[in-house]
Amino acid sequence: MKAFDNYNPITIFIYFASVITIGMFCLNPVTMNPLILFLSLSGALTTYIIRNRMSGVKSHFFFLGMFILLAVINPLFNHNGVTVLLIINNNPITLEALLYGTASAAAIISVIYWFRSFSQIMTSDKLLYILGNISPKFALILSMTLRYVPLFENQTQKVIQAQRGLGLYSDTDFMSRVRGGTRVFSVMVTWALENGVVTSDSMTARGYGITKRTFFSIFKFRKKDIAVTVASLILFAIILTGVISGAINFRFYPEISHAQTTAVSVITYIAYGLLTFLPAAIETEEEIKWKYLKSKI
Amino acid sequence: MEILKIENLTFSYPLCEEKAIESISFSVDRGDFVTVCGPTGCGKSTLMRLLKKELIPLGEMSGKVYYKGRDVQTLSEKETACSIGFVAQRPEEQIVTDKVWHELAFGLENMGMPQDVIRRRVSEMTCYFGIEDWFEKSVAELSGGQKQLLNLASVMVMQPDILILDEPTAQLDPIAASDFISTLSKLNRDLSLTVIITEHRLEEIIPVSNKLFAMESGKMLKYGETRETVKALRNNAVFMQGMPAAVRIFSSFDLSLPCPLTAREGREFIEKNFDNRVSELETPLSNTEKKDAVLEFSDVYFKYSKEMPDVLRGLDFKVYKGEIFCILGGNGSGKSTCLSVAAGLRRQYSGTVRVLGKKIKDYKKNELYRGCISLLPQDVQTVFLKNTVKEELEDVVSKDHTLPYDLSELNDRHPYDISGGQQQLLALAKVLSSAPQILLLDEPTKGLDAYAKKEIGVILQKLAQTGLTVVCVTHDVEFAAEWADRCAMFFRGEITSCGIPSEFFAGNNFYTTAVNRMTSNYYKNITTVSDAVKIMRLNMNGGAE
Amino acid sequence: MITIKNASVRNALRIIIPFALIPAIIIMGVYVFKENSYMFISVGVIILSLILFISGFEKKKTGTRRLIIVAVMTALSVVGRFIPVFKPVTALTVITAVYIGGEAGFLVGTMSALISNFWFGQGPWTPFQMFAWGMIGLVGGLLSKYLKKSKAALITYGVAAGIVYSFIMDFWAIIWNNEIISIEAYLASLLTAIPYTVIYAISNMLFFALLAKPFGEKLERVKLKYGV
Repeated sequence: MKAFDNYNPITIFIYFASVITIGMFCLNPVTMNPLILFLSLSGALTTYIIRNRMSGVKSHFFFLGMFILLAVINPLFNHNGVTVLLIINNNPITLEALLYGTASAAAIISVIYWFRSFSQIMTSDKLLYILGNISPKFALILSMTLRYVPLFENQTQKVIQAQRGLGLYSDTDFMSRVRGGTRVFSVMVTWALENGVVTSDSMTARGYGITKRTFFSIFKFRKKDIAVTVASLILFAIILTGVISGAINFRFYPEISHAQTTAVSVITYIAYGLLTFLPAAIETEEEIKWKYLKSKI
Repeated sequence: MEILKIENLTFSYPLCEEKAIESISFSVDRGDFVTVCGPTGCGKSTLMRLLKKELIPLGEMSGKVYYKGRDVQTLSEKETACSIGFVAQRPEEQIVTDKVWHELAFGLENMGMPQDVIRRRVSEMTCYFGIEDWFEKSVAELSGGQKQLLNLASVMVMQPDILILDEPTAQLDPIAASDFISTLSKLNRDLSLTVIITEHRLEEIIPVSNKLFAMESGKMLKYGETRETVKALRNNAVFMQGMPAAVRIFSSFDLSLPCPLTAREGREFIEKNFDNRVSELETPLSNTEKKDAVLEFSDVYFKYSKEMPDVLRGLDFKVYKGEIFCILGGNGSGKSTCLSVAAGLRRQYSGTVRVLGKKIKDYKKNELYRGCISLLPQDVQTVFLKNTVKEELEDVVSKDHTLPYDLSELNDRHPYDISGGQQQLLALAKVLSSAPQILLLDEPTKGLDAYAKKEIGVILQKLAQTGLTVVCVTHDVEFAAEWADRCAMFFRGEITSCGIPSEFFAGNNFYTTAVNRMTSNYYKNITTVSDAVKIMRLNMNGGAE
Repeated sequence: MITIKNASVRNALRIIIPFALIPAIIIMGVYVFKENSYMFISVGVIILSLILFISGFEKKKTGTRRLIIVAVMTALSVVGRFIPVFKPVTALTVITAVYIGGEAGFLVGTMSALISNFWFGQGPWTPFQMFAWGMIGLVGGLLSKYLKKSKAALITYGVAAGIVYSFIMDFWAIIWNNEIISIEAYLASLLTAIPYTVIYAISNMLFFALLAKPFGEKLERVKLKYGV
């Protein structure tokens, strides 16, 4: 399901900015609250998996390995904490350090997963739309570069083939690879710079630089975009207030201690839960709506 | 209504004694379709640029250009940018942005138009050009022909009155080129858009244009109604080279009749004025002596990846020593792939390829490229990396190697500053430097004018006489008919027919030369203009001689 | 739309922001905010980098050709990142900076990072890479007079730039790994990164030694021919 993809890029950006900012905020020793981390990790995973289903299952194992590694490495090097589990080479392995490692691993992995979803959903044309509203010229040059990248890649392949056919390129050993690479790159630079002038003429011919540019886009800002944007911002404000107030503070060292559960902390948890599961909720709603529509036919 | 008036236009490039354009005056009416023709280097492109204010090159210019009676220099930037559109040769590099919809909107964004106006104009243009299907695509996904149509569409959204095109179809394959020309002609008919176009491939453009502008070394030679101008130029050999086959045939006879322009008119012209008592030319016996096969494909299969369909399907053919072998066929039929397999750049998954009698996989490392086989790629710019032609030649050419032609007068020029034909020859020089016995060429005549094509043909023939074997993949049927020893038709990964040009083309009804289309069922096995003229002379109506 | 109208303010901003404000924010993050520092640092750098872009770029006129050269060089460095053993971003950023100017170098550096991450994956490291490469370009532009004159200077700068890039990314790595910022931790991570830093420096050195001159000539030619 890709219902969340169809929201306005600004909405999507604000959502991810909120959720990732909170996620990164948790990457610090005083606010590494296990419940927050759990919500962040499960939300990030759910968002990613709903969107990708079974594709790319292998990568999950990779990150699982990374998670375990990150969790285990901390107690091996960090010997703070009061609850000693065992002693290796005269160094105590503590429960606090192990839990701290697990928590920071969860924080890191969840941020990585938020970014994975973000990279998938925020395609280059969406990013351009956002930038186009801030700086049309920067957006234009980005768009030009994005147009060039596949063109140059394609041309690089052609150049490699051409040079190979002349017997001037081979990749059998390291040195010939460097030599061949240099040659190909050199051809590419000449080609790209010389033909860039054609692009420049084409821009001038169509009146580039005459007046202040506007920025056209095919994205629209609809009611549901407003709703999601406002929701993200309100939730973000609530969570940030909660975090800064210290209501969810959580410390691992020297021993595990945390702020008392108060109304503020509960509200913060709820708000964060709502925020992290917002895309999942949107996808589910869409799915139900379709099922319902189908059943009516 | 007069829309464009040029008065006494003269232009010279900096540090250049000669004038690129010399006192040219002419005027264009609204709705005119003007074809500008002339040999390479006659100043066509410069003239095109002088008509588009934004693109006037650095240099000294005098004279005036009037748009709707007003001096172009006094018009606002906005007005000139919108009312005069420009499309250039290379489709790839003219595209500025990464998405089709964004490219369409680019010009209007530059004008600072509001969103809803842009939206309306872009959607209108998308419908007119029938390109809704690719509206949201990345431009990288489009084919060359689609890219050029996109360039045209994104100029048309600015609603120009005049469209200037500088060899827009030179880089396209024949089918995309005729699509492009028919779109132009539709715009001209529907919107009375004024079109001024330069082109090498005149076969299709002459019939749709109502005016012809002939140029020679910066000067206007002749300008006027197409048929009249063509007829007036009939004795000018340089111009005739590039003209449609019907015109070239007509120009060989001194008849005071209207000049035929299309193949249909050409056929009428021939059948009305010549009979067919002699229906066949005596052909020299085709050389049947057994020669050595230097390149051999037997039952070759190839695909780019496991999931993709086969590109070569049981390809089987032999090329003999010292012949020019032309492979013709549509886009995506696998012609170019076949060349890269022959050059050892790609490996077949079944079947064998033998080069000089030895299996290609038995060649070690670069052995194949030292004196055996060499490939001239389609895009010759992929072989240039130096700053001058001389350095470029020194990059590979050994001192004692002699070329059948001379490039020394270009020595100090930059490889990108010389003409397309010269680039082709320079690249060929680099390719020949390894003294190959088999030369593989991919579309060697793409974007070249008739003169440069002839030059390439002559050189290839000279090389073949020295024992070099030439395998050439091309779309250019006229070139193949003229220069090949044998031609082969490539279709869906295999060769479906093969033979000497006159028989090969005579057997085809559609995929054949214009001359053959004009003369089939009347004469036998006539494929080139010179053969047609020869047989027509034998069939002159009594008394004409 | 944010546009800074006054040219001198804009230029001042372009110098002040990278050299004063960003280090200041980082130090502030470490000492003032103490334990809550990491997020502030990241966000501070992101926002300032963006302001830097806009102030430098959204001014009234940038010639079409200059725009094209920046786009071409960026695309080349992005495509170059796909070639094995070939990591030309630093080199192309420096070369652009030297021959076309510091602002162009800054743009090539930042955009290369941003755009290549569309393929390599965006992450919290994106702004750091943008910043690091952008600075390499900007400083290269300031030093262009000297770098143009001697090849040795150019190679030295290229190697130094490679090392500085690694230093900046190491700094990022500490923040990311959630360690307390301290001189010791930083030195430790620099030490572990030595092999990579050395490889990176050598590859830059090779690149400059082999390609700086021909590239410079090619850029100069385009500049001359098309009047950039």
